[in-house]
Amino acid sequence: MSHTAPTKIRNVVQVRNLAKAYGDNVVLRDVSLSVPEGSVTAMIGPSGAGKSTVLRCMNLLEKPDSGEIEIDGHVINARKKISPKNLAALRRSAGMVFQHFNLFPHMTVLRNISLPQERILGRSRDEANTKTMELLTRMGLGDKADHYPARCSGGQQQRIAIARALALGPRVMLFDEPTSALDPEVGVEVLEVMKELASEGMTMVVVTHEMGFAANVSNELVVMADGCIIESGDPRQIMSDPQHERTRRFLRAVLER
Amino acid sequence: MQMLQAIAVGLPLTILVTILALAIGTVLAIPLVAGLRSGNRLVWLLTRGTIDLLRGIPPVVWLFILYYGVSIGALRMSALQAAVIGLGLVAAAYLAEIFRGAIGSVHQGQWEASSALGFRTGTAWGRVIGPQAWRTAIPAYTTYGIGLLKDSSIASTIGVAEIVFMSNQYARQSGEGILVFFIAAGIYILLSMPLGMLSRHLDTKMRKAVAR
Amino acid sequence: MNALLPDIATILPTLLGGLQISLTLTFFSLLFGLPFGMLFSFGVTADNKIFRYISVFFVEVGRGAPALVLLQLMYYGLPNVQITLTSLVSACLALVWTTAAYTAELIRGGIQSVPHGEIEGSDALGMSVRDRLRFIVIPQGMRIALPSLMGFAVLLFQATSLAYTVAVPELMSQAYSTGSSTFKYLPAFIAAGLLYAAISIPATWLSVLTEKRLSRHL
Repeated sequence: MSHTAPTKIRNVVQVRNLAKAYGDNVVLRDVSLSVPEGSVTAMIGPSGAGKSTVLRCMNLLEKPDSGEIEIDGHVINARKKISPKNLAALRRSAGMVFQHFNLFPHMTVLRNISLPQERILGRSRDEANTKTMELLTRMGLGDKADHYPARCSGGQQQRIAIARALALGPRVMLFDEPTSALDPEVGVEVLEVMKELASEGMTMVVVTHEMGFAANVSNELVVMADGCIIESGDPRQIMSDPQHERTRRFLRAVLER
Repeated sequence: MQMLQAIAVGLPLTILVTILALAIGTVLAIPLVAGLRSGNRLVWLLTRGTIDLLRGIPPVVWLFILYYGVSIGALRMSALQAAVIGLGLVAAAYLAEIFRGAIGSVHQGQWEASSALGFRTGTAWGRVIGPQAWRTAIPAYTTYGIGLLKDSSIASTIGVAEIVFMSNQYARQSGEGILVFFIAAGIYILLSMPLGMLSRHLDTKMRKAVAR
Repeated sequence: MNALLPDIATILPTLLGGLQISLTLTFFSLLFGLPFGMLFSFGVTADNKIFRYISVFFVEVGRGAPALVLLQLMYYGLPNVQITLTSLVSACLALVWTTAAYTAELIRGGIQSVPHGEIEGSDALGMSVRDRLRFIVIPQGMRIALPSLMGFAVLLFQATSLAYTVAVPELMSQAYSTGSSTFKYLPAFIAAGLLYAAISIPATWLSVLTEKRLSRHL
């Protein structure tokens, strides 16, 4: 699908021939994908299609059986030995946002965001805290710095998780169903933040069930089913005129609900 | 070999004390649980106080209070009676907490479903809540039982001739303390192994049954 | 029966010295037992065979054998191998063993119940394995284990009462000697029981309170 992006634009993420199986259960078969700089890629598809697995393979939270992943020039081949240094560099380039936030419950909001900056980027505590407060203020959460995550609402926790990932200055942000654990009204807060990020030119890959976001914010849509990418391209075009029968069935099921 | 024989003489009393104390504890735990679930503030407070006191004083102190301190007329308790009753009382307090937790873990919806179906309270307890709570309680119950097996050794302090008492006697006679007590330790470990395996087996069986 | 209360009131203050020894014994058993517990909690699943076998031996025997047996083993057994210790030191050794064995399992349980999502969170941020242990897994695991560790400390304090069998002049032993010299067994043991309860019961409440507190923002 790299042909959809003009060649002069660099791809921040390249996934080549990714495959993965748990025993006999094949979850990914030969998935390839390029994410151009500044683009927002939305991944949709029925549950069990392998969308989250592709995303989680991108920063090696799950190890693919074969294939290659390149993020911002750091290449990891699943068949070769993975050096911890290379892995750390790749993970630093990719910020990840989880469905269930995965904040550290025993640290204040401030420490949640500052500690990774200190440990991974080597910032001083003051530098890290300044950066953290800047991000929190931008998210409208400046008053939450000294709270523990459990005292924040789900929508706030997710925005804190986004701030935690952004604080490390990633080249691409990976979102794994960021609004699925939230009430629809609360999800909107998070989607607003994501929209803003997109308008600032952040490269994003978003696994989502939010069709509105996929249609209106993303500029690249990837439809997956049964461990394969079955269709990809311009979101509006795919949604109005899907080429693949499987896509049609999925969209009908989602939109007629 | 002679040493092992001398120690093993205490085995029946170790097992007897454990089983009797567990039986007493299980029976007495039931009214304690009822008291903890009581809506009457005074009943709750008295039960809470009883359980805290039973657990707050070490078993050996209870055994000494019963053995040396309690006499009915001229009649004193035998060492075995004092051990079984003392350990049984302490067990009742711990088991009451285990049962209470297990009952609390049964989902509120099960009560609602029972009422909606028109079950009487007795039926709801006997057929719906009780069996589910018991399944949840089994691992903690067997763990406590294993603990009680080890606590039965405390009966040796008032002269019940169980394993530790016999070991102690043999160690003093022969002067071979280290070996004697390692063997005693081994016997306890061997005894608790099948119980632990049983507990784990029941636990996995239960998880499977619920998962299905 | 009427004389019971005044008797208890008279005996109680004379037992305070014994209580102090009981508390000291508890303190040192925890002080030396907890680091070993932490060590064994990693040891029982370690790759290094020798380290693992040693850990498993100490944990299994320490948990499987009654504390009373360990106390007698140290006191009557160690002289067999030409080690003679004071009763206080040998009692302390036995209880350190018990503490290490039980706390190893409690700490391991706490560490295993650190939610997987938090570990993934630290991985996705690119934290090193060492940092993950230091900042996420150990602090979180210890927090989860804290209430049960406090509960164990109460049981350990109660278990020091068994040290009277190896001639440590702790609370139980003081009560026994008061009882046998005055024949006022019942008031002596009740007084001792009250002193144990006065420490154990509030300490248990504290552990329950801690558990509730921590579960609020876990």
